Amino acid sequence: MVNILSYELNYAKSLGKRTLDNGTKIPYFSLEKEIKQNQEDIYSAIKEVVSKVLPEQRKKTALFVGTSLVDWYLVDAINACAYEKKEPYKSKKRSIDSYAKDLAIEFGLSSFTMTINTACTSSANALLEAKNLINAGIVEYAIVVGIEVYSPVMSSGFAGMELLSKTKPKPFAQDRDGLVLGEGVGAILLGKDKSSWELLGGFSNCNSQTITSVSSSGEECVEVMQKSLENCALHVKDITAIKAHATGSQANDEAEMNAIKKVFKNEPKIMTFKQHIGHTIGASGVLEIGYLMNSASMGTYMCNYFGFGGNNTSIIVRRHDEIIS
Amino acid sequence: MKLYLKAYSSFMDDGSIDIKKELKQKYKVDTRRQDKFIHLALYGGQLLKETCDMREDDELFVTSGVGNADIVQKTNTYMYKENQPLKLFDFINFLGNTTSYYVAKSLGMKGKNIFQISDNFTYINTLISAYASIMNSKKDAIICSIDLLSEPSEVIKRVMGVDEKTELKSCVNYQKLSLNPTGAIAEIEFSLDEQSTSKEEIKPFETYASYAINCALKDKKDLLHVEIMNNKKRTIKVKNLT
Repeated sequence: MVNILSYELNYAKSLGKRTLDNGTKIPYFSLEKEIKQNQEDIYSAIKEVVSKVLPEQRKKTALFVGTSLVDWYLVDAINACAYEKKEPYKSKKRSIDSYAKDLAIEFGLSSFTMTINTACTSSANALLEAKNLINAGIVEYAIVVGIEVYSPVMSSGFAGMELLSKTKPKPFAQDRDGLVLGEGVGAILLGKDKSSWELLGGFSNCNSQTITSVSSSGEECVEVMQKSLENCALHVKDITAIKAHATGSQANDEAEMNAIKKVFKNEPKIMTFKQHIGHTIGASGVLEIGYLMNSASMGTYMCNYFGFGGNNTSIIVRRHDEIIS
Repeated sequence: MKLYLKAYSSFMDDGSIDIKKELKQKYKVDTRRQDKFIHLALYGGQLLKETCDMREDDELFVTSGVGNADIVQKTNTYMYKENQPLKLFDFINFLGNTTSYYVAKSLGMKGKNIFQISDNFTYINTLISAYASIMNSKKDAIICSIDLLSEPSEVIKRVMGVDEKTELKSCVNYQKLSLNPTGAIAEIEFSLDEQSTSKEEIKPFETYASYAINCALKDKKDLLHVEIMNNKKRTIKVKNLT
């Protein structure tokens, strides 16, 4: 049994606008305090949430990061030498996981750090990987961080694919016109200590019609939801409500709704959060489970995440009526 | 922790093979809309496929020391140096798991698929992650360890912690791993955090551990591989079973 022991969330509180490099204005959920696209600022943001972990738990704690962010260390290296104005050669081992490594050293965590890049399912998959590590007895605790900050590349990419809304996110609404991106940082501490929240498990696969979308019938989503139930030894009747991925895009919402109808014969309660905090891409796994925990009463919740690269993930969490161990 | 190795493939690029052409002509793999990093990963996958059967639900873990530097550089140049709009497939290739998606498609896999990077012990952490995962699922795991030498090579050298004159090569290594010893060609034992008394750091580059294992297997030898960083030691013991 792996429980959710603690969590910290930092997400945008209101919808605003951002301007792309080509001058186009897009709706966007920005954090109140801007996090710039460089490693120091991202590092500070993660540090703030990781510092909540108790010192005595740290040596036995792995650190996972889920994000779709580009590796900005690499961008720095490119800028330093690939163009006309070259900088003197210096080299230090850096990768996108360096934020995690630096934190692990600073906070005295285990040297097991891992950054997972599976687009919109990144931190959801990180939660399942962390659970596996605890269950196998390799570590006792795991901190799973989801992080996404404004990126011109990501926003331009989504805009280029004509997936962005011109107004606001309207998940599952008839007049939905696309998704609205958002930024945020969240961290969840997992372990076997007593808690009222349990991470029951889930399932993840790589199966889609194209690299950017599942089929409109949602059969790929059906598979992850069914196998997620199976892995947790649950039936559809055990699910109190679904936290849908529900981006607000025409095709993905249709596929997810069709999948839900196939798995749940009696339509279950459905919750959607992206109208409140935006689509935080790689961070959405952690942020949306945290958002659910802020308000959910006793029950069992299925949380869906579907991403580019055919990556589909379903996670089931339960709030008990008492603290369990 | 112990896993059994069922199959492996190893490819170090010396420039003598046109990888894209080989993928298209020999292996009939669709190479459109992809880049060099993805092609290298696909090529290693095809070499592995020649040595073993893959199951649709095998779990795929793709790891890299640096990731796809080529696409980051291309995108950076387009957007910030030439003020060009971002190209659709460059954006898609920019996402880490695009590589693992194409690998899975080319190998007929539809199961778990993770693209992950670990700065500390790149390969060993993936090995631990795969072990924990299949302990839970009871499936087999395929690990793809890949690093591409992009041009100019100085970019990679600046983020690898190496001397400017170090000679680097692109390399991709695959292993199929299982909890079941039946038909295994080697046994791999590995550890998490052992306290090191050595003052010296042993930091083999990036996914080198994966290459070292495959070299030992090719030579039918046992191997003890050690990495030490920040007073933490990791070991991999490979026992050849053939």
